[in-house]
Amino acid sequence: MFPIIDIGPLAFQAGGMILIISLLIGLWLTVRFSASLGTNGDAIENNLLIGLMIGIIGARLGYLIQNPSVVADNPLSIVSFTPTMLDKPFGLLAGILAIIITSQRSHLPLWPTLDTMSPLAVLLFAGVHLANFANGNNYGLPTTLPWGVPLWNAIRHPVQIYALILAVVLLIWLLVRTRLLKFTYSHHSGLILLHTVAGLALITVLTRALVADKAPFLGLDLIQVIAWLILLASLILIFNVQYGKKKPTRIFLSLGSNRNPREQTYKASQDIAKFAKILNRSSLYETADVRPNHAGETYINRVLEVETDLSFPDLKERTKAIESTHGREPGDKDDVPMDIDILTYGSQVFVLPSGTAIPRTGLTEHRYVAMPLAEIAPDFRHPATGIAIKDILKQLDEQKQPVRKITEVENGT
Amino acid sequence: MRKTTFLILAGGVIIAGLAWIILTPVLFPFAQSSDEAVAAHPGFKAPDFSLETPAGDIVSLSDYSGQPVLVFLWASWCPICKGTMPNLETVYQDYTDQGFEILAVDMAFQDTLSTAIDYFETEGYSYTMLIDRDGQMAQDYQMHGLPTSILVGPDGTVLDVTIGSGMSAGYLSVQLDQIFTSREGE
Repeated sequence: MFPIIDIGPLAFQAGGMILIISLLIGLWLTVRFSASLGTNGDAIENNLLIGLMIGIIGARLGYLIQNPSVVADNPLSIVSFTPTMLDKPFGLLAGILAIIITSQRSHLPLWPTLDTMSPLAVLLFAGVHLANFANGNNYGLPTTLPWGVPLWNAIRHPVQIYALILAVVLLIWLLVRTRLLKFTYSHHSGLILLHTVAGLALITVLTRALVADKAPFLGLDLIQVIAWLILLASLILIFNVQYGKKKPTRIFLSLGSNRNPREQTYKASQDIAKFAKILNRSSLYETADVRPNHAGETYINRVLEVETDLSFPDLKERTKAIESTHGREPGDKDDVPMDIDILTYGSQVFVLPSGTAIPRTGLTEHRYVAMPLAEIAPDFRHPATGIAIKDILKQLDEQKQPVRKITEVENGT
Repeated sequence: MRKTTFLILAGGVIIAGLAWIILTPVLFPFAQSSDEAVAAHPGFKAPDFSLETPAGDIVSLSDYSGQPVLVFLWASWCPICKGTMPNLETVYQDYTDQGFEILAVDMAFQDTLSTAIDYFETEGYSYTMLIDRDGQMAQDYQMHGLPTSILVGPDGTVLDVTIGSGMSAGYLSVQLDQIFTSREGE
C-alpha cells in the first residue's frame, strides 16, 4: 500500500497521481460528450483548466492570508510543494467562481454545459475516493468482514472502495444511457447532470455511514446531511424539469420549398399559426439549386419565430403533418413542396438516437437558414455553444452559398 | 416515467436516505478501542518507540510527553532529506526554549550508519539523532517515502504527516505557533 513516485525533488504520493489521471480521463470524456451534443468543448475545457489553476493558486493564497508569517519567514514557500499548505474550501470557492465568470464571458449556456460535464463529475468523484484509499484518508470503521483492509492499526472497511465501486456503476449507467456518450436520453437539458449529481449524493449518503472519521453535527454526520440536501435539491429540480408547469416555448422554424415556393411558404405559415403563435417572420430568401440537372430552379426559405405549449414530439408531428398535406413525399429530394425544420426548441439541447438533434445542425451550416434567423433575431445565440448569430454567419462563405433576400416589392406581401 | 411513479420513487429515496442518516450513529457507533487509536496518521496517538542515539543513549518518544515533537525520518542518501534538515535546525533554534523537540530518526536498516553519523555531526545539527537499526520503528510508522515528517502534539496526538520536501520552515513554524498560542490560552 501507499506507493510513492519520486520525480527529481518532488515526491508525489500515488494519491496525487490518481487525481491527475482521473481529471485527464474526465476531461477527455467531457470533450467527447461535447462533440456529440454540439456544445463548445474547447471553451468548456479551457474554462475548467483555468478554474483548476485559479483554484490551486486560490487555495495557496487562502492559506498564506491566514498564516502570513510563512511568507515573512521564507518568501519561497509561496511556491513550495506542500499539499497541506492549501486552504481547500477557499481554493474550491475561487475555482468555481473562476469557472462561472469565464463561462459567462464566453456565453456558455448553463444546463447544456453542465450536462457535458457529467462524466467529469463522476470521474473526479471516483478519483478522489481512490486517492483517499491510496493515502489512507477517509478510512473506514473496523470490521470483521473478510474483505477488510489493514489500515491504521485495525482491519477496516475499505469504504473508499465501496464509494468507488458505486461511482463506477453510475458511470456505466451514464455510458449505457447515452450510448457511449453519443446521445442525450431526454428532451430536457440539465437532466443528465441532475441525475448524475443525485447519484453521487446518494452514494455519499450511503457510504459515509462506514467512514470512521465523521464530521459531527447535532449528533449526525455533517457530510451525510449536506449530501442528503443536495440529493433532495436535485430530485426537486428533476421533478420541475420533467413535470413542472409548462411555459410557452419559443421556437425557431425554418421553412423551405422549391415548388410554387412563395405560395407554399405563405400557406404553411398559415397552417403553423393554427397551433403556435407567430411572433416574428423573416423576409423570403432565394437560393439557386446548385445540383447539375436543376439549373434555373430556386428554393425559397424563411424563418419563423413562434411560441407554443406543444411538447417537442407533438410539435414535430404537427410540422410533419403540414409537410405531407403540402404534398411532400418522404425521401424525395428533387421535389420539395414544403420542408419545415425545427431549428431550436427554447433553450434545450438534445441529440436523440432517432436522429433528432436540437438545435438543428443546419443552423450553423446553411446561409439560407442563418440569414433569415439573423434578420428577425439579431441577438440570437446558439443554445448549445452560446455563439452569436452574427459570428455563425461570418463562418459561412458568401461566395459558395449565394442567398438573395427578396425585397418587399418583389414579395408582394 | 409517470409523474406518480417518480414521486413515489423520489420520495422513497429521500425518506430512506434520511432514515439512514439518523440511524448511522446508532448502527455504526464510532468508538475506537485504545489499541486501534495508535497510528501514524493525523488524529491518532503517535506510536511510541525507544531508539539509540549515536552516543548509545536510549530515547523514547514518550520522554517528551507534554512537548510538541517533530519525528523526522531520513537517510544520508536522500537529497530531499538533507535539503530539509537545515530548515529544521532554524526552527529548532527558534522554538527549543518553549519545549519543542526534533527526533531525526536515521533509517539505518537501509543506510550506511557511519556516513549518516558523519553527515549529522559535520553539519552540526543541535537536535537529537536516533537510529532505527531493524526497521521496526519505520514499520510502526508505515514509512513509505523519505523524508517523512510527523508532527506530534503535546498530548501525543499526530497533528500532521508530510512526505517529501513539504516540511518547510514556514509551514512548521505556523503549526508550532498554533500549538503554543492555544497553550497560552488554556
